[in-house]
Amino acid sequence: MVHYFEPGKVALDPDRDYGTPARLSETLVSLSIDGVEISVPEGTSVLRAAALAGINIPKLCASDNLEAFGSCRLCAVQIEGRRGYPASCTTPAAEGMSVTTQNGKLGKLRRNIMELYISDHPLDCLTCPANGNCELQDVAGAVGLREVRYGFDGENHLHAKTDDSNPYFSFDPSKCIVCSRCVRACEEVQGTFALTIDGRGFDSKVAASQDDGFMASECVSCGACVQACPTSTLMEKSVIEAGQPEHSVVTTCAYCGVGCSFKAEMKGDQLIRMVPYKGGDANQGHSCVKGRFAFGYATHKDRIKEPMIRETIDQPWRAVSWEEAIAFSARRLKEIQAKHGRESIGGITSSRCTNEETYLVQKLIRAAFGNNNTDTCARVCHSPTGYGLKTTMGESAGTQTFDSVMKADTILVIGANPTDAHPVFASMMRKRLRQGAKLIVADPRRIDLLKTPHAGETMHLPLRPGTNVALINSLAHVVVTEGLEDKAFIDSRCDVKAYNTWREFISEQRNSPEAMEAVTGVPAADVRRAAREYATAGNGAIYYGLGVTEHSQGSTMVMGIANLAMSTGNIGREGVGVNPLRGQNNVQGSCDMGSFPHELPGYQHVADDAIRSKFEKVWGVKLDNEPGLRIPNMFDAAIAGTFKAMYVQGEDIAQSDPNTHHVEAALRSLDCLIVQDIFLNETAKFAHVLLPGSTFLEKNGTFTNAERRINRVRKVMPPVAGKEDWEVTVDLANALGYPMHYNHPSEIMDEIALLTPTFTGLSYDRLEEMGSIQWPCNDSFPDGTPTMHMVDFPIGKGNFAVTEYLATEERTNRRFPLLLTTGRILSQYNVGAQTRRTDNKLWHEEDVLELHPSDAELRGVHEGDWLGISSRAGQTVLRAKISDRMLPGVVFTTFHHPGSGANVITTDNSDWATNCPEYKVTAVQVEKVSQPSKWQEAFQASDKRQQHYLKQPVDSAPAQENLS
Amino acid sequence: MSDQQLQNLIKMVNQISANNLHHGDEHQAATVVAGHLKKFWARSMKEQLVAYAAEDGEQLSPVSRLAVGQMRA
Repeated sequence: MVHYFEPGKVALDPDRDYGTPARLSETLVSLSIDGVEISVPEGTSVLRAAALAGINIPKLCASDNLEAFGSCRLCAVQIEGRRGYPASCTTPAAEGMSVTTQNGKLGKLRRNIMELYISDHPLDCLTCPANGNCELQDVAGAVGLREVRYGFDGENHLHAKTDDSNPYFSFDPSKCIVCSRCVRACEEVQGTFALTIDGRGFDSKVAASQDDGFMASECVSCGACVQACPTSTLMEKSVIEAGQPEHSVVTTCAYCGVGCSFKAEMKGDQLIRMVPYKGGDANQGHSCVKGRFAFGYATHKDRIKEPMIRETIDQPWRAVSWEEAIAFSARRLKEIQAKHGRESIGGITSSRCTNEETYLVQKLIRAAFGNNNTDTCARVCHSPTGYGLKTTMGESAGTQTFDSVMKADTILVIGANPTDAHPVFASMMRKRLRQGAKLIVADPRRIDLLKTPHAGETMHLPLRPGTNVALINSLAHVVVTEGLEDKAFIDSRCDVKAYNTWREFISEQRNSPEAMEAVTGVPAADVRRAAREYATAGNGAIYYGLGVTEHSQGSTMVMGIANLAMSTGNIGREGVGVNPLRGQNNVQGSCDMGSFPHELPGYQHVADDAIRSKFEKVWGVKLDNEPGLRIPNMFDAAIAGTFKAMYVQGEDIAQSDPNTHHVEAALRSLDCLIVQDIFLNETAKFAHVLLPGSTFLEKNGTFTNAERRINRVRKVMPPVAGKEDWEVTVDLANALGYPMHYNHPSEIMDEIALLTPTFTGLSYDRLEEMGSIQWPCNDSFPDGTPTMHMVDFPIGKGNFAVTEYLATEERTNRRFPLLLTTGRILSQYNVGAQTRRTDNKLWHEEDVLELHPSDAELRGVHEGDWLGISSRAGQTVLRAKISDRMLPGVVFTTFHHPGSGANVITTDNSDWATNCPEYKVTAVQVEKVSQPSKWQEAFQASDKRQQHYLKQPVDSAPAQENLS
Repeated sequence: MSDQQLQNLIKMVNQISANNLHHGDEHQAATVVAGHLKKFWARSMKEQLVAYAAEDGEQLSPVSRLAVGQMRA
């Protein structure tokens, strides 16, 4: 019987290594391997063809995530009519080929090779950390190695020194067989090129950078080398300490919006290591330092393990039972509503929690609180994406899969820093750049993607912060005035009246690159070249991040991006599209689940009577038909005294939201703040109720990533305080008198599917069957929708929107001559609550202020100096980092450490349509100082006091302490 | 209602108006602005804005004033 292997139709076993990567040719070749007939796509190696036929050829240097290398020679085979013993990994299958993988000659050859390997390998298998999971050991067994004739008397590497510098893995060169898998993984999978083989012949050894040691090298600790190593040379320290895991569960990472699948490898309920899952549709077996290694926060001593309450925020916490905490919360909320009205309370859902939890929190607010005062942290990151994409293309989501980038010819990255914020996707992007795709980056900073090793043509448009719309308009101006539009796409897919209006506007000379050069600072010739490259690329793909949305014209810019993509026909197929890179793991999901005050789940407006009535029927309660308050509106109302209570699940608004003085004043004004979190975060210091949260390892549910992919989150250990987050929301609803009953998050998903037109085909059973599903998933798209808008838009025709550039009101002047922009770095995540509690802190012990050498020189600033940074909103102090990746006049910092006070200096300015804060543009002055700011001193005192309140004994008197 | 809260609402509505001036004449722009407020603003915010326009309205831009007028109508 002939076995046919057809890509995409035959499910491969993600736990199996097929030796070399798949080939996607539609031409099949048939061959015979050990008498088994098989057809495979042209270009497939004999090694892979054998594996697909169920025949295992021994191998050491080959792996199916790396191109064949042919160094170990263990996979040698005999081919009828050909001479010698070719390596099956580097030999392509050919029509009519007859292959023998096992016979006496091959067996002897393999034994000889293994004997040579083992002659320079310590024979300490019983005490080796890889024991039981070692490819070298397995192959020695498979080839029948019985003796090593050479002994250890000669020169060898057995005493080579271990490099322990990396906190997560060790490098023991005494066990290295120099197969180069680690080096090739660093190049081909991660794209960093940090590793090399140093020396030649017997002296060959793996070295990081210029033999600097792993920690001091360019290594980004993604773990690809550790995963690739067939011995224990590169080994997780957690495995060295605890031994091999005994079972594993596939789940989804809770860090960024890439949504990587991992095998959580366990010993009982102890997590030993996270291994990227090859069957994960988003990451396809790759990882970054956060998802791969930074999970120790889940068992950190700071975890909140029992519910706590207090009457006022200047009292110690009192540990109580779940029942008492929930009853206290419900009583407070009801009393406040009785006194101040139905609309005096609200809540915030979390982009770090699951879809099911987010859905329940907004349901609690709408159904049990009786108002629409629900919002989510997407307010402060991607709310303009929702507005802009819905207005132009009819759906509040990105258009592509991550895989789509592998068909892009020109990649335009605007206001995003993928190598730091979406590292696994950045690796895929870099792979495409190495294949020759062109890269255009529009960003005030020269981001690391521009330094991709072996990339093709790259181009940097270093625009001034706050001038995005001016730039996108001038790019579109070039497209339209140089006749680069895709007229067929526009005529057939877009609203012609809207297009003509936009075309007239964008063609005006004031939008030309020459006219806008004075605004953006980008040379007009560069803008013209970039526009031509994008428009004529064949496949032009746009990727953008918070550098687009977090502006006073964030929504306008998103619409400008959509205009550019539609005008060039770069929508509706693979390789193109408009792709918002979502910051947190479930930003897309939290928006989908109805977290915004004006929209029920599935972006269905609360004012639509038919929609509301559908929800009212299922939820059994009358719903308000007016939008509720957004987060900044809640703060304003709290300070005004009309908003008195909040339920905040899994967010830290006190650290992440702009203008900290204002946020703190709002939180202090509340009569009841209920915080549900895994740690005493900054917001919890203003809380009256602290409910222990559960990490992603402790609950079931789903996350939706930046490509609309819904992935399962699976519980691998019990929640530290006994409840998954969704169960707490259920308890609170019931205590408020609104009945909620679910036995499992799958039942919540069933309710979501019932009420959300884009989710009707979704269930946990379908997710088990398919692994993951990209919404829309319904009768029209039963298996989900990898690429959107292929035939039409949800609004019918694409809608070009006029995008007039308006300068932000945040301007530099003599008092504040620099522009501050904020962002993230690779090792840290958002407010840092998780990553600061892992060894990732070794890469980033504090937030620093990056400034250009010329700005530093002007102020007499040296590396490491303390700098006072003042804005119209406040002042803080950070250490200086002098960096030529900044534009002169632009400074940069992160907000990963609460004591840094990055958001003390950001302002209240926000996007006109959505109130998304303008984090990316703050006018500041920078000067050398010798002490922390007043806010930082107050923060330190307050932190000390609140930490003390947490450590009080359960029955301590609730008297005010004065420890500052 | 605090002064700060009112100031923020005025700033927000004027910003919305400024970003929608391209929709034809002032009345057409005001219709778009009124539609935006109706769709996205909370009841209490709209009420505060309407009350301010009725009592004073000095700081509202012409389009904002027209938009609030349309909301009242």
